[in-house]
Amino acid sequence: MDGEAADVALAQSGDGRAFERLYRNHVPRVHGLVRRMLDSADADDVTQDVFVRAWEKLHTFRGEAAFGTWLHRLAVNVILGRRKTVGGERKRFHGDADMLDEVAGRHEAPEHGVDFEDALSRLPEGARQVFLLHDVEGYRHEEIAQLLGIVPGTSKSQLHHARMALRKHLDR
Amino acid sequence: MQDQWTDRLSEYVDGDLDAAQRSTLEAHLVDCGQCRATLADLRRVVDRARAMDERPPARDLWPGIAGRIGLSTDDLAVRRTRRRISFTLPQLIAACVALIAVSAGTARLVSNKASTPSTTASAPSGLTAVQAALWSKADSSADQELDELRLALAEGQRSGQLNPATVRKLEGSLAVIDSAIAEAKRALALDPQSPYLNHHLADTMRRKLEFLREANRVATART
Amino acid sequence: MLFALVAAAGLMLNQDTDTTFAVRQGQRLEVSDFGGSVVIKSWRQGSVRVRATHGSRDRVTVSTEGATVSISASSRHGPAMVDYEILAPAWMPISVSGSPSAEVTIEGSEAEIAVETVEGAVTVIGGRGNIALKSVEGEVSLTGAKGHIELNSVDGSITVKDCSGDITAATVDGEISLLDIESSDVDASTVDGSIEYDGTITDGGRYRLTSHDGDVSVSMPERANASISVATFSGSFDSYLAVTLGPGQKSKHRFTFTLGSGGARVELESFDGSIRLVRPGQIHQQNEE
Repeated sequence: MDGEAADVALAQSGDGRAFERLYRNHVPRVHGLVRRMLDSADADDVTQDVFVRAWEKLHTFRGEAAFGTWLHRLAVNVILGRRKTVGGERKRFHGDADMLDEVAGRHEAPEHGVDFEDALSRLPEGARQVFLLHDVEGYRHEEIAQLLGIVPGTSKSQLHHARMALRKHLDR
Repeated sequence: MQDQWTDRLSEYVDGDLDAAQRSTLEAHLVDCGQCRATLADLRRVVDRARAMDERPPARDLWPGIAGRIGLSTDDLAVRRTRRRISFTLPQLIAACVALIAVSAGTARLVSNKASTPSTTASAPSGLTAVQAALWSKADSSADQELDELRLALAEGQRSGQLNPATVRKLEGSLAVIDSAIAEAKRALALDPQSPYLNHHLADTMRRKLEFLREANRVATART
Repeated sequence: MLFALVAAAGLMLNQDTDTTFAVRQGQRLEVSDFGGSVVIKSWRQGSVRVRATHGSRDRVTVSTEGATVSISASSRHGPAMVDYEILAPAWMPISVSGSPSAEVTIEGSEAEIAVETVEGAVTVIGGRGNIALKSVEGEVSLTGAKGHIELNSVDGSITVKDCSGDITAATVDGEISLLDIESSDVDASTVDGSIEYDGTITDGGRYRLTSHDGDVSVSMPERANASISVATFSGSFDSYLAVTLGPGQKSKHRFTFTLGSGGARVELESFDGSIRLVRPGQIHQQNEE
C-alpha cells in the first residue's frame, strides 16, 4: 500500500491530518482545473467546495481507480453543478464559432504575445470545457456529452475547433 | 486554408476514425503538406494540454476547508468536542483497513480461518492477531468517547438544549449502530478475508464516529 | 363553559406578531426557532410577511446584516418558542435552524434551502441548487427539488420524490425512499432500515445504496446499461432480470454483473437483508398496495 492509499484510508476514517496531506498533494491540479473550467474569480471558493465535498464523499471511494482520478471526477461534478446553479449553461454553445475565429485571429499577430494559457482562457466556455475535459482530464466524448447536455458530435467538433484555435498559440 | 480532411484530423489524432477513413486520410496526408503540418500542430496541442503548469493557489485554502469540515476552529466548545473524538479511533480503524487491504488475497497470512479475532490475540503470527489487537484498542477508545458523549448529553439535557426524549432516541440509535458493529465483527471472525465484510465493518465504525461527532455537536450547540 | 375559559386563557397568554417588510434580490432569509413550528410558503410579492404566535412576553426580532435577513424570538430568559407562518419570495434562499425542536415546512421555494432541526419533521416541497435538510429525531421529506441534495436524519426516515440532481441521504434508524428521481449520483445509506430507489440509471452515473439491516430495492429498466455490484452477508438477492455471472465475478459475499454496456455503476449492499432488482414502477405499486 503506498503512502497515498494509507492517507486515503486514514482520511476515510476521519483523520483530518491525512486529508490535509491529500489536499496538499492534489490542490495544484484541482485548482488549475477549476480555474480553467470556470475562468472566474471564484476559483478559490470552488476549489474549497471540491475538497469539502471530497471529505463528505470519501467513504464512497473504494480504490477502483486512483484517488486523483476519483477526485478529479468529483471536481468536475462540483464545477458543472456550480455552472448550473448560476444558470450559465444555456448560453455556452451559442456564438462559439465567432469567438473561436476571434481567438484564432488574434494569433495571426504573434507580436501580441498571447500565450497558450491566455488563448485557452479566451476560448468560449463550451469549447474550453470540452477541451479541458477531453485533453486534460481524459474524458470520452460520450461522457462529456452527458455531462454538458450536448450530443457527442458537438463535443467532437468543439474539441477540434478548440485545438485549431489553440495551435497558433503553441510556445514556439 | 482548409480542405475536407482538416476537420477530421482531431478524430484521427484521437483514434476515432474507422479503418477505412483512417487509411484514406493517411493516403491524403502523403500528398498534403498543409494537413501534415496541421496534424503535427494538433498533436502538440494535445501534448501541451497535458503539460500545463500546475501551481498551488495564491492563498492557502486549507484553513477554510478545515473550518468547513469541522477540523479546526477557535471556538472553544467545538474544540472540546473535537478533542472527544480524538484521532486515535479513526487511525486505528484506518490502520486495520490498510492492513486488510494489503493482505487481501494473501492467504498465507491467515493461518487459521476459523479462529475469531478475540481469541487470537496471542496467536504467534497472522493477520487476525493484529486485527484483534487493533479492534480491541479501537473499542476501548470508543468506550471512552462514549462516556464523554453521555456527559455531553446530560449537560444538554440540563441546559434545556436537549429533550429527554431526544436523548433516549440518540441512545437508541447508538445501540442500533453498536449491534450492527457487533454483527459485522462476528461475521468477520468467520471470514476475516472478505473485502465486503472488512469494508462494511469499517463503514459502520465510521458511521459510529460520525454519529458521536454529530451527537456531541447537537448536545453542546448554543442557541 | 370550560371551552370558553380555555380560549380566554389562550388569548391572554398568546400574542400574534404580523409584520411585512420589503426585501431585495440577493438577500437570504434565516429563521431560528427554539421550539415550535416554522411554515414558509412562497408568494409573488417582493416582501416577506412574518406571522408569529408566541407568549405575550416574547419578542420577535427581524434584523438585517449584510445580505442576511434574520428572524428570531427571545424572552427575558433567552430564546423563545414561537410558531411562525412566513411568506417569502420564491427566489429567496432560506435557512432554518430549530433547536431543541421545530417542525419545519417549506413550500414553493425556487432557491437554496438549508434546514437543521434536532427534534421535529422537515418537509420541503421545491428548492433549487444546494439543498441540505437535517433532523436528528424526525422524518425528512423532500419533493420537487433540483440541485445538490443532502438529507440527513439519525432516528427518522428520509423520503425523496420527484427530484433531480445528485442526492446523498443518510440515516441511522430509518427507511430511505427515493422515487421518481433523475440523477447520475445517488448515495443512500442507513444502518437499520430499508432503501428503495426508482429513478434514472444513467450511463456514467453512480448509485450506491447500503443498509446493514434492511432490504434494498432498485427499479432497473430491462435495457439499462449498468455494472452492478451486490454484497451481502446473510441476506438474499432476487432479480426479475436474468443475471449471468462471468468468471471471476463472484466472491463469497459479493458478486458483480453487467447489464447492457455497463455504463452506470450500481453498488447494492445489505448485510442482513434482501437485495432486489425490480421492474420500473413496481416499487410504486407495492407502496400503493
